Amino acid sequence: MTTTNTTNDQFKHLNLPPAITDLPRNNPHISIDDYDPEGDLLVMNLGPQHPSTHGVLRVKLWMDGEVCVKAVPYIGYLHRGVEKLCEHRTYVQITPLVDKNDYVCPMTNELAVNIAFENALGVTPPPRAQVIRTIVAEMQRMSSHLLAVGTWALDLGGALGGGATAFMHTFREREMLLDCFEELTGARFHYNHHTVGGVRHDIPESWSTHVLKALDIIEAKIDSYEGYLTENQVFKARSVGVGILDPKLGLELGISGPNIRASGVDWDLRRDAPFAAYDLVDVKVATAQAGDCYARYQVRIAEMRESVRLVRFFMKNIPTGPICALKQVKLATAVKIPANFSGYTCIETARGELGTWLVTPPGKKKSAMPYRLKIRPPSLHAVSALPWVCPGNNLSDIIAILGSMDPIMGEVDR
Amino acid sequence: MISPQANILFTEVYGLEADPAEGPWIPTDKLLEVAKALYEAGFNYFSYCAAAHYPATEEEEGYYNVSYRVRIVGKNGQEAAFRVRVPLGEETPSLAGIWAGADWQEREQYDLIGVKFTNHPDLRRLMMPENWDGHPLQKEYAIDTPHHPWR
Repeated sequence: MTTTNTTNDQFKHLNLPPAITDLPRNNPHISIDDYDPEGDLLVMNLGPQHPSTHGVLRVKLWMDGEVCVKAVPYIGYLHRGVEKLCEHRTYVQITPLVDKNDYVCPMTNELAVNIAFENALGVTPPPRAQVIRTIVAEMQRMSSHLLAVGTWALDLGGALGGGATAFMHTFREREMLLDCFEELTGARFHYNHHTVGGVRHDIPESWSTHVLKALDIIEAKIDSYEGYLTENQVFKARSVGVGILDPKLGLELGISGPNIRASGVDWDLRRDAPFAAYDLVDVKVATAQAGDCYARYQVRIAEMRESVRLVRFFMKNIPTGPICALKQVKLATAVKIPANFSGYTCIETARGELGTWLVTPPGKKKSAMPYRLKIRPPSLHAVSALPWVCPGNNLSDIIAILGSMDPIMGEVDR
Repeated sequence: MISPQANILFTEVYGLEADPAEGPWIPTDKLLEVAKALYEAGFNYFSYCAAAHYPATEEEEGYYNVSYRVRIVGKNGQEAAFRVRVPLGEETPSLAGIWAGADWQEREQYDLIGVKFTNHPDLRRLMMPENWDGHPLQKEYAIDTPHHPWR
C-alpha cells in the first residue's frame, strides 16, 4: 500500500537517508530530527501573509538549499466557527452565512446547504428553479476558474514576463459575470439567492441578453488566454512535471474536482450523481493524465469551455412556472425539519465535492435549527495533499503547486 | 445512499443492520476490520469523517456519533457509509492507516468535537490554536465563551 508521489531520482543529489528517498506511507509524520540530527536544514515559513498563499495559509518548510524536504501546513487563521454558528441559526438564516465559506464561488455554497435541507424535507424545487440554479452554478464555476487561472499566472508572474497580463484579462472577464449576478440578485458576491425549495429572485427581463453577450466575449477570450499561456515555453517550464499528484494517493486524501481529474480520474458529480438540472444535459467531463500543475490548468480551461456550452444550452431551455416550491419564506423560522434526521448530500462546485452532513436534534419536535451541520470542503482536502506533494520540489515550484491546487482559505478554515 | 455492494458486505459478511442513508453502527472493536474490508473492496476515496456530540441525558449516557463516508469513484461509482457510537471519555480507532485522508479529518473532529482517536499518527489541533481550552462544537460549549487573545 506504499504510495510514492515523486521519483527517487529527485533526491539523489541530497544523499538523504532512505526514510526520505523512499517516501514511505507515513512520510508527512516522519520526525525531522531523525534525518537532520545536526539541524543543518533551513526552516522557513511560507506565509501566513503572502499573496501567493491565496489567503492566510502558513506552510512550515524544511529546506535543503533550494529543495524542500518536509512541508507542514498550518491552517485555522481564518477559522470563524461557521459550523458552531450554523447550530445557532435557523435554516433560512444559514444560507447567507455559508456564502462566506468559499468566497470565490458563493452560489454553489448556498446550493449545497439548500439541497441538504430539501433532501431532509422531501421537497423538490420546480423545474424553473432547477434550471436557474444550474445556470448560476455554471456561471459561478466560470468566474471561479477565471480567478484561479489568473491569480496562478500572477504567481508565476516573474518568470512569465507578464503574468500580470493574464491576471488583468481574466479579472476583466470575471467582472462581466459578476455584473450579471448583480443584475439578478442585487449583490456582487454574497448573493443569498437560493432558498429552501427554489430560488429567491426570478430572471430579469433583459438578463439573458446580457449573459449571452458575456459568454460570447468569454469564449473568445479563453482562446486568447491559451494563446499567451498554453504554449508559452516559460509557463510550461514552470508547470509541466511539477507537483505530480498520484491518483491513488489523491483519492485516498479525498481530493476531488479539477485537481483529481487532472490526475486521470474520470469522475464528476454533475454527471455521476446529477443535482439541480444536470440530469437534463450530457456533461462532458474534462480530464488530463499527467497530474501535474499544467494538467490542472488544462482541465480548468476545458471546464470553462464546457460551462459556456452548458449555460448557452440552459438559456435556450428555461421552463416557465414558479421559482420556489414553498411559499416565499418571510419568517426566519418558517422552515422546520423533523427530528432524528441525518443525511449527507453533495454537489460539484468549481473545486470539487462540497458536501453537507445534516443532523437534526433528537426528540420528537420539528426544529428550525440543525443539531450539527458539517460542511465538507474540497479545498481542505487539497491543502492536506501539500505534505505529500511538496517534498522534492524547489521553493518556487511550491508556489506553483499551491496556486494550481486553487484552495480557498475561507473554505479550508470555515 | 449506500450502494448494494457495500450493503452486502455489511449485512452478509458482518451481520450488521445498515441504514440506507447513514450505514450501520459498527462496534469500535470491529471498526478497523470492516474499514480494511471496504478498502480492499475498492472503496479508496475517503469523503469525510464527521462527529456529533450527544451529552448525557436522564435516559441515556452521553456519546459521540462518528460517521464516515467512502466511495468508489467513476461513472458507476458506489458509496458506503458507516458510523460508530463512542461513549464520552472513550476512544475509537483511527483510520489514518487505511485512508491517508482520515488523518486531517480526524484531527479536525478531535479539535472541534473532542473525539479521541487511538493510534493516530499526529493528533494535534487543526483549526484552533494549540492553547485553546475545550472543544467548541461540544453542546456544553456556549457560543459566547470568552477566550484568550489569539496569537
